[in-house]
Amino acid sequence: MNRPEPLDDSDVEMDRLVRKFARDSRTPPLPDETAALPWTVQHQSPRASLFSLAPGLRAVEGLRRAAFSFVRLGATLAVAGTFLLVVSHTRTGGTGSDYIIAPQPTARPSGVVAAPDAPKVYVVKANGVVDDVMADYVSGAVQQAESNNAAAVIIQLDTLGGSEYAMRRIVKSLTARIPTIVWVGPAGSKAASAGTFITLSANLAYMAPQTNLGAASPVAANGADIAATYGQTEADKVMSDAVAYITSIAKDRHPQAVAWAVSTVQQAKSYSADDALAAQAINGKASSVDDVLNQADGLTVTTTSGQLVVHTKGATTVSVSEDLVQGFLHTLDDPNIAFILLVIGVLFVAIEFFHPTLLMGLLGAISLALSFYGSGSLPLNVLGVFLVVLGIGMLILETAIPSHGLLTIGGIAVFVVGAVAYYGSPGPYLPTVAVAWPIIAVMTAAATAYGLLLVGTLMRMRRQPVPVGAGLVGIDKVVGLIGEVRADLSPLGTVYVGRESWSARTRDGSTVGRNTKVLVVGQDGLTLIVERMT
Amino acid sequence: MSDPSGPPSERGMFAKEAYLSAEIVRTPVQAAAVREIAFDRAFVTALEAELSMAYRLAGYLMADSAEAQDVVQEASVRAWRAWKDLRERDRFHAWFSQILVNVCRTRLRQLSKRRTLDVDDMDLESGDPFRASLARDAVGRALSVLSNELRIVVVLRYWGELSLAEIADRLKIPIGTVKSRHHAALKALRRRIEPVEGVAR
Repeated sequence: MNRPEPLDDSDVEMDRLVRKFARDSRTPPLPDETAALPWTVQHQSPRASLFSLAPGLRAVEGLRRAAFSFVRLGATLAVAGTFLLVVSHTRTGGTGSDYIIAPQPTARPSGVVAAPDAPKVYVVKANGVVDDVMADYVSGAVQQAESNNAAAVIIQLDTLGGSEYAMRRIVKSLTARIPTIVWVGPAGSKAASAGTFITLSANLAYMAPQTNLGAASPVAANGADIAATYGQTEADKVMSDAVAYITSIAKDRHPQAVAWAVSTVQQAKSYSADDALAAQAINGKASSVDDVLNQADGLTVTTTSGQLVVHTKGATTVSVSEDLVQGFLHTLDDPNIAFILLVIGVLFVAIEFFHPTLLMGLLGAISLALSFYGSGSLPLNVLGVFLVVLGIGMLILETAIPSHGLLTIGGIAVFVVGAVAYYGSPGPYLPTVAVAWPIIAVMTAAATAYGLLLVGTLMRMRRQPVPVGAGLVGIDKVVGLIGEVRADLSPLGTVYVGRESWSARTRDGSTVGRNTKVLVVGQDGLTLIVERMT
Repeated sequence: MSDPSGPPSERGMFAKEAYLSAEIVRTPVQAAAVREIAFDRAFVTALEAELSMAYRLAGYLMADSAEAQDVVQEASVRAWRAWKDLRERDRFHAWFSQILVNVCRTRLRQLSKRRTLDVDDMDLESGDPFRASLARDAVGRALSVLSNELRIVVVLRYWGELSLAEIADRLKIPIGTVKSRHHAALKALRRRIEPVEGVAR
């Protein structure tokens, strides 16, 4: 040992003491794990070492992964898109003649068969949200009635409103070659918002007792709700447009009815059947379809084929209803179902992120698409949707970021607020809807359970170490392992691999001595085929 | 320390074997990679020669066998990661010591934020071989008063039997600094020991 600098006596003494102490300190035997390090580090990080062999590989691997997830996302979107295409095709393709038409016996005295030349009246039941589906089958049914020279077509209406576009399509279809009649019924029904426009636009309008006509929605008189969303100018535009439209419709009915009709839009007023009758907005009160047929008989209406006298007394009724696909699509307009579909969709898509299985992502995408399709005729509040998604996101984050429950509580709160505000204030046509409280409660519980249980479990599963090496059984588990020769391979011998002894032979027939490392490359019955490690 | 069940070489052999058979290689590409990597004999030989001294230095530096194992493992992993890029393989010894010292310093810094190592306060019955070895003499116990930087110099100097120039190389500090730290360390040890020795005489 070189001593570069003279130390004073006491330091020299200290130097000697420490040196002696250190020399007498024995090194404890190396623990097994430490002794095995020269091998284990090479196996613990094979990827890192593989990449240091060829640095370009890392980039290639990254690209491969990115490409793979890209392809999968594309496949998901393609399947979801195909589904939507099929659905929309079914819808548009369905406009025509393939309605389920069920001729029904009339309320004639039994035993009397309808005369072959007795007039036919088509009855179309239009319930729920006014949307494209309803527009499709109402206009389809009117065309059907026209081509079959029906005496009249009756729209049995019960709606809270819907999309303006669908409403205008229905209104247009009600100007036909044959008399069109809207009957708001049976008792307890409503024709609110868009329904009011439809009712007033028919040639003849009847209401059952205990029904309502007019905007049921509490829209502020100056359209402040629309103003909050789109600005005052847009609100004024929407309002004056609606007023002009209802004026033009009501004018055709009776001059007296105009002011009354405008009040349903501007003051958002709702009227009973008696009020509407007093204002000359409807032609009368009718408690049933037969009542409508009797009252309408003999009245003169203006159709596209000129002035006609309605002959409906004793007519045979033919009821027209939605087909299965239309019924399904019409169900999606339900505010609760659209909300549930959105939540399920978001949850499923989130599962896809944590536990990629394609199926979940696909179901989630379809669910989301159906939800937005259904929300098309509903006053969807974008902020509400955002809050619902954010709430679910916070619930999921709780499993990744420990926040001692703060994220969960916050997530639940945000979710509930979003659910309550999911539907905003409607315009003149849209229905007033909200998500039902029991639905909110159930979906909140579901989202919370999902966040805490499912995602939590998935995260835990992912963190679990893969059980490798222990308890390996069966021949297919041994291929790819590295073993050690126990009895010389000449070329047949014994190899210790996977904690068991195996008969083995070398692939090329060469001889391998004891204690040599070999790689198991294959199997031949119960004999392993091995290769010498070089 | 648990009773060894056989000669160290045999136990080491078993541990290696267990790890070797644990690696599953399925595809031909991976198999080729394993053949290429798993038996980098040069690395195994080079690292095997270092382990004993590395464990000794780390153990007496940290005064804890578990910490020493962790540090040696971390240093080995780092060495393996950088092995392919190492040009001068004949300098492996010096290179690996530098890595080890670096890991030790980092770990000591982390530990000193949490607790102070004081042999006097430690539970000597805990059976840790390094702690027991240090506690057998006043010199070993005095080691705990040194700051991390002084302690590294002392351990490298006496347990590693390195020259001051070599220490400067491992720590990547000027030799003058090493000298002054060495000096300061000896002084501090003496101040700590003298009253005890005085009583003993």
